[in-house]
Amino acid sequence: MIQLFHLSKKYDNHIALDDIDLRIERGEFVFVTGPSGAGKTTLLRLLFGAEKPEKGYILINSINLTRISRSKMDLLRRKIGFVFQDFKLLPQRTVFENVAIALQVTGEPARWIRKKTRQTLELVGLEDKEKVYPLSLSGGEQQRVAIARAIVKGPVILLADEPTGNLDPDLTREIMALFRSIHQKGTTVVIATHSRDLLENAPYRTILLQEGKLSGDTCA
Amino acid sequence: MRIRFRTYFLKQALQNIRDNLAVHILGLGTMVSSLLIFGIFMLLYSNVTNWVQGWGNSLTFSVYLKDDISAYKRDKVDTFLRRLPGKKSLVYISKNDAMADLKKTLGSDGALLKRLSGNPLPASYEVFFDRSETHDLNSEAVKTALSKLEGVAEVQCSEEWLNNFKQILDIVKSIFFVIGGLLCVCVIFIMTNTIKLTIFYRKSEIEILKLVGATDWFIKVPFLLEGIIQGILAGVLTLSLLGGGYLFFATKDLQFFSTISLGLVFLPLNHMILLFLISVVLGIIGSLIAIGRFFKV
Repeated sequence: MIQLFHLSKKYDNHIALDDIDLRIERGEFVFVTGPSGAGKTTLLRLLFGAEKPEKGYILINSINLTRISRSKMDLLRRKIGFVFQDFKLLPQRTVFENVAIALQVTGEPARWIRKKTRQTLELVGLEDKEKVYPLSLSGGEQQRVAIARAIVKGPVILLADEPTGNLDPDLTREIMALFRSIHQKGTTVVIATHSRDLLENAPYRTILLQEGKLSGDTCA
Repeated sequence: MRIRFRTYFLKQALQNIRDNLAVHILGLGTMVSSLLIFGIFMLLYSNVTNWVQGWGNSLTFSVYLKDDISAYKRDKVDTFLRRLPGKKSLVYISKNDAMADLKKTLGSDGALLKRLSGNPLPASYEVFFDRSETHDLNSEAVKTALSKLEGVAEVQCSEEWLNNFKQILDIVKSIFFVIGGLLCVCVIFIMTNTIKLTIFYRKSEIEILKLVGATDWFIKVPFLLEGIIQGILAGVLTLSLLGGGYLFFATKDLQFFSTISLGLVFLPLNHMILLFLISVVLGIIGSLIAIGRFFKV
């Protein structure tokens, strides 16, 4: 479960988030939307522990992110998957290595890492691309590698920042189907997007941010 | 540390070296050059100390006699010298023998001596002692006693110039430490920059590793290993090059002032280990500094 209490974040004189109170239940599928600069990415980065808030606090499964030690934050991140708009893949590593990297940090046995990575690549439909380098893949395939890396460790929360921002409508549908299947397995999914197409007819809760403020919370 | 982590770290460190091979070769070359200068100093110091110790083990008195010494007085000097305890050998060198020795030493330049009107060289006694058997011999007292004997022109003791030599050696030792210290700073600087470049090269990978939950040390250890590997390689290469240089010079006949043959020795085992450890430790310090200063995640 994710809980935000009076959360505020400022960059120099610009207020990115202003007094946000929010609660996302375990296993929910949530869209965070709003125009560019509304604070969607900041919110996700705060949930991921990549930033510290000026005010307020964040609880993830009752763990206070604002007071957590650096080493405990590293361990918590193993339970949170993050998908970036620009994929953040390592071009000099193969698809397999890009996904396996998320498991190597846990110190699991190599055999188990191989098995789990192959299973995940199969899940995202890239089982035949494991030896390929990311730059020779299409945008949709690269995003699927990024999703595979985020879910390979079996996270309880999956955060995605504009995951379909660089993709055409067909690939967007494909990626969204993937997120839905991950959600059906019990993972909490939070997707930040400003795409109206994505939100139309989506049977999920949508949180609207405007100028750093929470201005709408609609359940499907 | 779990075995699979160790394997990962080692693989990662080797991967870092492969990815930045040119930088590492350059760094290694500079590191070996610096350590080589340090090693050559150590080798020279070891050899000079060894020679000095060798000379110090044999105590020699050269007793020069006056040209007009009577047979009676020479007998008294002879008797005095023969009674000295712990004496290894006593050699009388007549004026003619001294001239013959000088001619032999000068070799082709010996013809110069023909211009002399007479033989200016004094007759002398050379008394040799084994230092290991004459610990209680007071060389100063012996010298004073010999000087007081009638017919003795001058007495020289090997200990006097040996002490002067040891003083010079102490100065050389101080210079050696200063240069060694400066070289160590250079090596650390080189190592820091090599690792810094690797960190910058792997910046995006470090970012991703942090995003997937890697601990700081999980990311740092391969860089530390990289420094250790570079230190080990530099140590081994330096010792090998020093060994090669030693073997080259050991086959040559080195002489001191064209008279004394100098036997060469290689670094003693403890100095070799010290040089190797210095190299590894400098590698570790360099990578630790780089990790501390440039590792921002």
